[in-house]
Amino acid sequence: MNPTEDQIYVIIFSTLFLGGLMSTFVVAMVFIHRQRQAQNKQRLEQIKSEHEKTLLNIENEIQQETLTHVGRELHDNIGQLLSLAKLYLGSSKAEKQAEGRETINQVITEVRALSKNLNLDWVESLTIPEFIEQQLEKIASTGHCKVELEKGDVSLNFLPKDHKLVLIRVVQEILNNAIKHATPDFIKVQIYLQNERHIIEIKDDGKGFDTTVASDGSGMYNLKKRMETIGGEFQITSSVGNGTLIHLLLPN
Amino acid sequence: MDSRFVEAFVNWYLILIDILLVLGIIYFLKLPKEKRANSFYWLPFLILSFTVFYENLGAYTLYDFEFRKAANAFLGNTENPRFNIWIFNIGNKHISTILFLFLIKSWLEPYKKKYVNWMIITFFIVILILQFSGIEPVYLNQPLIFTVGANLILLGSGFYFIGLMTNEQYLSVNPLRLLSFWQMTFILFTYSLTYISSASLMYLYTNYPQLLASLLKIDWVMGVLNLAILVLTVASPRFPHLFEREPYFEFKQSKNTEKVPDLSPQI
Repeated sequence: MNPTEDQIYVIIFSTLFLGGLMSTFVVAMVFIHRQRQAQNKQRLEQIKSEHEKTLLNIENEIQQETLTHVGRELHDNIGQLLSLAKLYLGSSKAEKQAEGRETINQVITEVRALSKNLNLDWVESLTIPEFIEQQLEKIASTGHCKVELEKGDVSLNFLPKDHKLVLIRVVQEILNNAIKHATPDFIKVQIYLQNERHIIEIKDDGKGFDTTVASDGSGMYNLKKRMETIGGEFQITSSVGNGTLIHLLLPN
Repeated sequence: MDSRFVEAFVNWYLILIDILLVLGIIYFLKLPKEKRANSFYWLPFLILSFTVFYENLGAYTLYDFEFRKAANAFLGNTENPRFNIWIFNIGNKHISTILFLFLIKSWLEPYKKKYVNWMIITFFIVILILQFSGIEPVYLNQPLIFTVGANLILLGSGFYFIGLMTNEQYLSVNPLRLLSFWQMTFILFTYSLTYISSASLMYLYTNYPQLLASLLKIDWVMGVLNLAILVLTVASPRFPHLFEREPYFEFKQSKNTEKVPDLSPQI
């Protein structure tokens, strides 16, 4: 074999080698893509199932709370009203019997209102700002602390029912935590739009806590996880003696 | 018909690419106005038209020797007035490579596009330096410019394939039904299969013209396949069940009206 023949073979084999290399590369890419696609699908299914689990937990929690509330209402309110009606209706005086009938009407109204709580349809009819307003009114009525809500024109109507459910539970949990652990004098909630993202800001002037120290409970972790399942974010800023500031960044 | 004209223009390669251009024009003109203004369609059509144009111009220079001689003289080549390699240097090695880099750029994730921009700028500077310094005159073979261009194309294709394996939007589709995948595959094959023959073109031309002619057939076959996939891209709205939607095409087309397909679980 002379040197020029060598060069020819080098050219031919180099071309074939590069062609083979590229074929192997493309085929390998397709195989790796298939594998990663399967892994990705599995991961997405896992996220979906986790989300469904979270949603189921939240629905259970809300139903549990609703039943507790209904039980309390039946015992403390409706039960009392019915006892009073029984007393009035047992009286021989006409005006007392009229009062008894009036009390029965009141009981009917209370039962109707209570029955609405038994299913989750109220979630659809109520907007998030309205829900927060109701919660803050409840806190204010107990006299624990002062409250303020700044909601502007934001209605957050774009949120689907399941996202709303999660958000309702998260807000409820944050407010409960504030009342239970921080004993604040003032709670302020703001709902606003920043950089095309809706944000719910919850601020209290309570005891605050060191966010770097791991707590015994899983409260904060759960709140963060729940916000993540709906594509949102949970941010907390707090230090001992300086209150707590929470930002809930809603999904777009 | 003039026998020289037949010799220059009547060969399977030119006939096939001319047919592809006609098909490309028909399908492009049938596209709605808004699609014609979209780079997903006009960039492949531009590459197709430009390739067929310079290939036909090359054939014309074979037919019209006086034109070839005058053009060579204009470029400073009085020594070899028979050469018409300058057309393929400018058309194929320079402009087509840049156009293919733009095509590759259109398939990349937004944050990777800047790398291709730099690759195009670098390639342009390399062409200017090598050509105007006289290292690689435009009327002779330009192996260095071809090597730099081919390497950049291979690198760009690498970016695409990495994106194909790592990006969630690409992981949700079948790559074999993506036009971008076939475009990239054919570009990759064209540049790798012609790498050696293009780099050693002058050597083969001088010593083994028959082998060169055989190796150039690979270039022609890949050229036809490349142009065919570009025609298919332009014609793709006519075959909605054949191809899947391109992830980044969606993003570019409807930035203001639609969102990128959200792969997070529908919750």
